Amino acid sequence: MRLRAALFAALALAARAQNFSQRGFIETTSLFYPQDAPNDSGNVVGSALFRYEAFYKLTNLRFAAGVDARADTHQQTDREFRHIWWDRSRRRPLFAVRRLSATYTRGRLTVEAGKQLIRWGKADVLTPTDRFAPRDFLNVVDSEYLPITAARLTYGTQADTLDLIFSPRLTPSRVPLLNQRWAVLPPVPVHELDPDLPGGPQFGARWNHIGAAAEYSFSFYNGYDHLPLFRVQPNFALLRADIQRFYPQMRMYGADAAAPVGPVTLKAEAAYFTSNNPSADNYALWVLQVERQAGEWSLVAGYAGEVVAESRSAPGFSPVRGYTRAVVARAGYTLDVNRSLALEAVVRQNGKGVYAKAEYSQALGPHWRATVGAALIRGTDGDFLGKYRRNSHAILSLRYSF
Amino acid sequence: MSRGLLMLAAVVAPLMAQDARQIVEESQRRGRANSQRYEGVLEVTGADGKVTRKSWVSWRLGSYGASKAVIRFTAPAEVKGVALLVINHPDRSSDQWMWTPAIARDRRIALQDRSTRFFGTDFSFEDLEERDVEQYDYKLTGEESIGGAACWRIEARPRQTKSSQYTLTRTWIRKDNYVPAQYENFVKEQPVRRLEQKDIQQTQGIWTARTLEMTDLRRKSRTVLRLEKLEYNIPLKDDEFTVQALRREQ
Repeated sequence: MRLRAALFAALALAARAQNFSQRGFIETTSLFYPQDAPNDSGNVVGSALFRYEAFYKLTNLRFAAGVDARADTHQQTDREFRHIWWDRSRRRPLFAVRRLSATYTRGRLTVEAGKQLIRWGKADVLTPTDRFAPRDFLNVVDSEYLPITAARLTYGTQADTLDLIFSPRLTPSRVPLLNQRWAVLPPVPVHELDPDLPGGPQFGARWNHIGAAAEYSFSFYNGYDHLPLFRVQPNFALLRADIQRFYPQMRMYGADAAAPVGPVTLKAEAAYFTSNNPSADNYALWVLQVERQAGEWSLVAGYAGEVVAESRSAPGFSPVRGYTRAVVARAGYTLDVNRSLALEAVVRQNGKGVYAKAEYSQALGPHWRATVGAALIRGTDGDFLGKYRRNSHAILSLRYSF
Repeated sequence: MSRGLLMLAAVVAPLMAQDARQIVEESQRRGRANSQRYEGVLEVTGADGKVTRKSWVSWRLGSYGASKAVIRFTAPAEVKGVALLVINHPDRSSDQWMWTPAIARDRRIALQDRSTRFFGTDFSFEDLEERDVEQYDYKLTGEESIGGAACWRIEARPRQTKSSQYTLTRTWIRKDNYVPAQYENFVKEQPVRRLEQKDIQQTQGIWTARTLEMTDLRRKSRTVLRLEKLEYNIPLKDDEFTVQALRREQ
């Protein structure tokens, strides 16, 4: 009894000392698809997400913890508790640890170990160097970043920082479910085999320099692509194609920079990818973008390019490469302190794929926010964006933050 | 007669300019502290009369010219954790970075973007930085009373015109305690923002305005910032004011 009282007193004292903070939200999202898709008769998808994060700070140590709990109407979420830590499942976990890490700081050194979000790169329209940031692509055009299990060591001053990252296992990006509209299937029956997930680690290093006029960084990554390629085997006995996801070895050499040039900020990011897997391409991705905030407007526009040095045979799923050879533009307009508009457009340079999205968002008091929007997708079958042309949709989202 | 006035003006003008600089220097000297922390409670009133409340915690290390500051939102809930790092320089405008925890990204706020409003308040990003006295040319243009307190009225123009969105800042500094009572910022001779500093109290020997009211004269909106739990000279470390620190503090 005394021990419990002492514990409560200690917790209360810690909270009062402002060493504890927490935040979170509950969000429901409904997507309305006016067109039918060949493999998905559903026209409305509803989902709910509860996210909670808590932080506790001691002198040189910080602890972060976060969980996600999900539900949906379209079998996109597991119906049982599993994959709570290692997020390598086909569907979204019902309950998952989003964050559980300890951070130790001493002078210029910071070490964070555990489950965490790691972001690299400076560009916004596409971030080729962002190799430790797998994403949930169940909805291809509205993805969410996934945390990974890693140890991150950061050493340096404000001007120069070295970032070293080691992750014991790959967290793959979540790809569209085959029985749902964001998977565009060939005209033959398809059967998916268990994925070939790599067991090895991944690591990377990034040096970042912040100067008076410009920032730039160089990065290196060795591990696996978090986006899959597919092995396709015709199964003549069952008159179907067996497909299996696999994640090829990948090595990346990257660089990014940002500098104000006249009335805009110019950002550039490029990465060259090689693989020892005979089925994976060797290629480079690059982005050049400008951004500007003026009055109530924020504008980002750029071009994402791709150069394939060595093309190999395996088909794959890569929204990152799918957004290249395209002009990407985003604009935000603040109507007032509670209301805003957001516009986004991606146009492939050959004109065979277009994606445009408009959203209106309004805060309703200190906790609630409602967002309505619409996304239009047009194009041809052979184009990464164009093949999702039946997936134009309207969005209605309601969030309670605490 | 007119030649005599011109000669008098020629002699007095530099003296007044010197006085203006000395007044500003003295004002900054009296407000100097090794560090500062406060909890800011903000009330944003739009042109339509709607009121929105926000709050942040602010830490500052150093004083005018070479200070570093972090502002981290604590409310409303949807922006909790969003933070701004400001590194002020004696010879040029500040460097600023914004941290957005939801996407785990930091973003540098470019100089040309600093006229933008800071998170829906009537403060612009530039209004959150501190400028060293050397970055302006000053002129004492008269004396006026603000809120019943006698003040010097001083005009300041940035020496590097591209370093500020404002072409002119008119400042009223109280004669009794050297605290600025009001700022009026101009763009091309048009007043665009007015900052009124009220509720002046002494905290740990430093006269400080505990209520700051910023009015956007074009939008007809205003933000009242109240400084609560204000502390000076608290122990803060230099490495708490870096982009890396923004990330690890969440």
